Amino acid sequence: MPSTKTRPASRRRRDSSADSDASTDSAEDKAGEDAASANGAAEEHDDSAPSNGKPAGPKRRTTAHEMATRQRDISVSEFFAKNRHLLGFDNPRKALLTTIKEAVDNSLDACEEAGILPEIWVRIEPTADNRFRAAVQDNGPGIVKKQIPLIFGKLLYGSKFHRLRMSRGQQGIGISAAGMYGVLTTGQPIKIVSRISKGKPAHYYEIKIDTKINQPEILNGRGEGVDIPPGAKGQAEFDRHGIVWVEADHGTRVTIELEAIYKRGRGSVDEYLEQTAIANPHVTIHYTDPEGNESTYARSAEELPVEPKEIKPHPYGIELGNLITMLSDTKESTVTAFLTQGFSRVSHTVARKVCEGAKVSPRARPATIGRQEADSLFKAIQETKILPPATDCLSPIGEPLLLKGLYHVVPAEFYTAATRPPAVYRGNPFQIEVALAYGGAATTQKVPLELLTELLRESDARTLRQFLINTFAGLGSEAADAILKEADQGTRSSPKGLKPKEIQKLHEAMRSTSLESSQTMNVLRYANRVPLQFQPGACAITQTIMGTNWRSYGLTQSRGSLPSGPITVLVHMASVWVPFTSESKEAVAAYPEIEKEIRLALQTVGRKLGMYLNRRLKVRQEGDRRNIFLRYLREVATAVSTINQSDRDKLYEQLLLVAKRKTAQADVKLDKHGKPIEAPEEDLGEHVIIVDPTQMADALRGGSPPQETMDAVLTDARRTLVKSKETLREITERRQLADEQTASAKHSRGTSDLKNRNKN
Amino acid sequence: MAKKKRSRSESSSGTPAAVLTPRDKKTINTLITLADEIVEAADKKKDPHLDIPARTLTNVKYNNTARIIEMGKGTNRRQLFNLTQAKAYMQTLLVAEGTKRLLDQGKTTSIRGLYYLLKHTIEGTKEETFDDQADCDPIIEDLEVTLTTLREELHVYASNRGAMVGPLTLTDSGDEIDCSRMGSGGYSIPSIVEADVIQFGSHRAEFILHVEKDTVWRRFNEDKFWRKHNCILIHGGGQPPRGVRRLLSRMHNELTYRGQKLPVFCLLDNDPWGYYIYSVLKQGSINLAYESKRMAIPDARYIGLRSKDFEECKLTPSVQIRLNEQDIKRAKQIAGYPWFAKKKEWQREIKQMLDNGFKLEVESLISKDISYVTETYVPERLKAQDWLGD
Repeated sequence: MPSTKTRPASRRRRDSSADSDASTDSAEDKAGEDAASANGAAEEHDDSAPSNGKPAGPKRRTTAHEMATRQRDISVSEFFAKNRHLLGFDNPRKALLTTIKEAVDNSLDACEEAGILPEIWVRIEPTADNRFRAAVQDNGPGIVKKQIPLIFGKLLYGSKFHRLRMSRGQQGIGISAAGMYGVLTTGQPIKIVSRISKGKPAHYYEIKIDTKINQPEILNGRGEGVDIPPGAKGQAEFDRHGIVWVEADHGTRVTIELEAIYKRGRGSVDEYLEQTAIANPHVTIHYTDPEGNESTYARSAEELPVEPKEIKPHPYGIELGNLITMLSDTKESTVTAFLTQGFSRVSHTVARKVCEGAKVSPRARPATIGRQEADSLFKAIQETKILPPATDCLSPIGEPLLLKGLYHVVPAEFYTAATRPPAVYRGNPFQIEVALAYGGAATTQKVPLELLTELLRESDARTLRQFLINTFAGLGSEAADAILKEADQGTRSSPKGLKPKEIQKLHEAMRSTSLESSQTMNVLRYANRVPLQFQPGACAITQTIMGTNWRSYGLTQSRGSLPSGPITVLVHMASVWVPFTSESKEAVAAYPEIEKEIRLALQTVGRKLGMYLNRRLKVRQEGDRRNIFLRYLREVATAVSTINQSDRDKLYEQLLLVAKRKTAQADVKLDKHGKPIEAPEEDLGEHVIIVDPTQMADALRGGSPPQETMDAVLTDARRTLVKSKETLREITERRQLADEQTASAKHSRGTSDLKNRNKN
Repeated sequence: MAKKKRSRSESSSGTPAAVLTPRDKKTINTLITLADEIVEAADKKKDPHLDIPARTLTNVKYNNTARIIEMGKGTNRRQLFNLTQAKAYMQTLLVAEGTKRLLDQGKTTSIRGLYYLLKHTIEGTKEETFDDQADCDPIIEDLEVTLTTLREELHVYASNRGAMVGPLTLTDSGDEIDCSRMGSGGYSIPSIVEADVIQFGSHRAEFILHVEKDTVWRRFNEDKFWRKHNCILIHGGGQPPRGVRRLLSRMHNELTYRGQKLPVFCLLDNDPWGYYIYSVLKQGSINLAYESKRMAIPDARYIGLRSKDFEECKLTPSVQIRLNEQDIKRAKQIAGYPWFAKKKEWQREIKQMLDNGFKLEVESLISKDISYVTETYVPERLKAQDWLGD
């Protein structure tokens, strides 16, 4: 046996050295070796038979030729049909969310690109057990007839992959994958209605994706689709197809029937829509849930976000392989032209410098550039100083709108937001925005009894504790335990078996238990305005929040975990290319540049929170002081009147007066010479909203259903909008200043960087 | 402990209007003055305050001629409108009110009784006026020093501690007591031993022996040391309470042997706490410096245990107790007290203990023989006049 093994091996070595005599490149060598080993295997079979008559070792099961017959192309759609978890279809519950999410994201992208204020209709209706019909309609520009099948019936088809432009969708997989999932689980085709302009008929398609060839298959109208006329006649036809078309001049409606499970709480469609409303205050969403309840997130901003610009790739972000492909694909006739036309921030001077560094003639034809030269070009690019990419291609939400969005949806007493200046990772511009809401009632305190009953019924959690933690965002295990203790429920009792009385008790416990200290921070993550609802642990955003020291801002935090308190933090990353950790777009990859920007943004809002908490603490202490005096005054007055029979009430009143005067005095700070100084209120800066918590609490205590009350409180004019408007000039000035300081303090750590900014 | 009824207020027990002694009247007047000052301050819209003489080492001074500790003039101001003092201020007035009620009704109570009398939940809160007795006791002392009255004048007493036997008769609240016929337990010393409660009868004692604690006292009583040596045998259960100190002082000053005041000898442990007990008996305590005049016995003598006794009595090393850090700190502190600082013998004594690195309890003498302390140690030291005094 050893002999047969060594012989082909030695030959192989000889063969490979003969094959690749000119090349010493390791990659090629490896390729050669692979090929040789395949040869070797075949030859081994050939000459082992004659050399010894008996078969040595196990019998061969198949031959290379036989195997070759089975080797063939794998279609993308086949691959993803098998690996649907990569796209967010791991379980029926998530499948529903992903479907809605992909459709809504596409709609929003389309509306914004066309310059239309988006209005979205989302409708989920149950059709059978664990089957739902999910439909999303927008008021977008519509899709031309011939493109419809390709967009919805072909994986990796789209307008967004090949350009560098900030958009929600990136890959062109999402919606077609959702349609594929629907076909796979229910056999029902994906139904698309799209109208381009008023009075024109709407195109109606029923499409299946042919997974073998990754091509759409049109089922209706003999493979041509159907045109549905506008007006009543059209409506009747829609009804016949089971489509609820909201009459509109233009727009697209996607209907997918799929196997799914509908559940509220964390990671639900409801949560997605709510979070989308936060980050997209210019969007109106109408939502009909499977039980027929209709709700609307009305837009709070009437302006579309600034249109993001498409940019060319930045040389620093390119990889060698990409460079080679681009070189062979380009239509330019010289390398200099290729560099200046193909990349951003490359001027003629820069291009010449790159060529000099790579020892490549600037007038060389790109197609003739060999691998070696490409390699030196690549190295030269890295060594040449090139301006960072233009960052005006990004369209951040902006502090005022972030505040608006958060304020609209998350009830709290303190809001602040910060948008970082744009930065660059791997040649891709990106921008981090953070908004923070502190205080207010916890989610557990605003759940109406009926909803709680329903949630309990729907839950598949095994224990009540698990139910509480999973259902309510920001509820830690400690808080859950406190609630259960208050409700006299064991932590391990099942959420299903609760009697109405017990549910009522649980509801009361949830409302009465103060969770201020046992709540953990609720983190809302966004990438290009799309909420990220899964895999928080794998996400750079969560990791950076955990790695930030929140203790210095007056919060409690154990090492390496999220801080606790009634606090919601929203982090938005806007970029032309968001580095997701997987195709299902659930977590942002941890590039050091991204983490640094997140940290700096968190520190900015954290500092403001710290100042607010400090101020609140001071006010509370002053109140405490007065309280302490008042508490003892009656005792003192009683004691004195017992001793000398003086008038107790008179003495009490007099002492009360003194107390008021004394505490007022104590509140005044004195300077060195004993003169009172005007204590300057620490300036919280711009982009801060403070809501008077007492009024909020009063409103909450009222008997009306909490959601309504919250709305009432929010629409009420009781809010104090401190400062949230600023002129464009101020923004630019501030950013420039920040930029300079970041540059000057590059070597100092983040905190000192911030301190410097603070001084200015 | 049951409430003790003072003999003079028997006639009016239970009714608020008790017959007041002149001393009670004086005390009540000081209390009323205190309350009036507060009303006055409130009238003028000023914040009321109390000036409480400071009971700290820095506010006591050693009077070289009287050889006692006297209280200085330093006071601490306690204000109602000061966050940290508000509660203490309120408590002080509660104590004043409580004692006023006791005086009015002609009753006395223990400090624990007073604590319960005043403890209640403050209206509209969940806060208690006093959380435990430790909250209340220092406030009582504060009031005593503020009003320059005595605890007993405020009709408050501490629990009984300490016992006494000896060839002495006395009258306690009208009852004749023969201290030579007290069995094994001895006469329990009350907290108030003023002349209106206790009057001395006849005695045959030649000196007073004060031992630190009950266990040693029992040894002496069982061996009938006091009968053999004609002395009054007394203990204070560790740091002697006021009753014991006042009684010692009264016996020392009022009883005589051959025309001389009865000498007082102290048998205490050889450790910083023993030294301090002696110091308190001799020149008064820092805490109750204002009562030193009535309690201190500047002539008291320290017969043991001494730092030299380990060698002199040939004790075994197993009876040694190592000095811990706290002991060493306390010993140095005591050596620095002005009333010890200039006494070479005491400096030598304390230094030797520190050098030894161990302390000795009186009971360690039992390792020689059960009755070594009564039959050998004390008699020999007395005979040799081997003690530490001034």
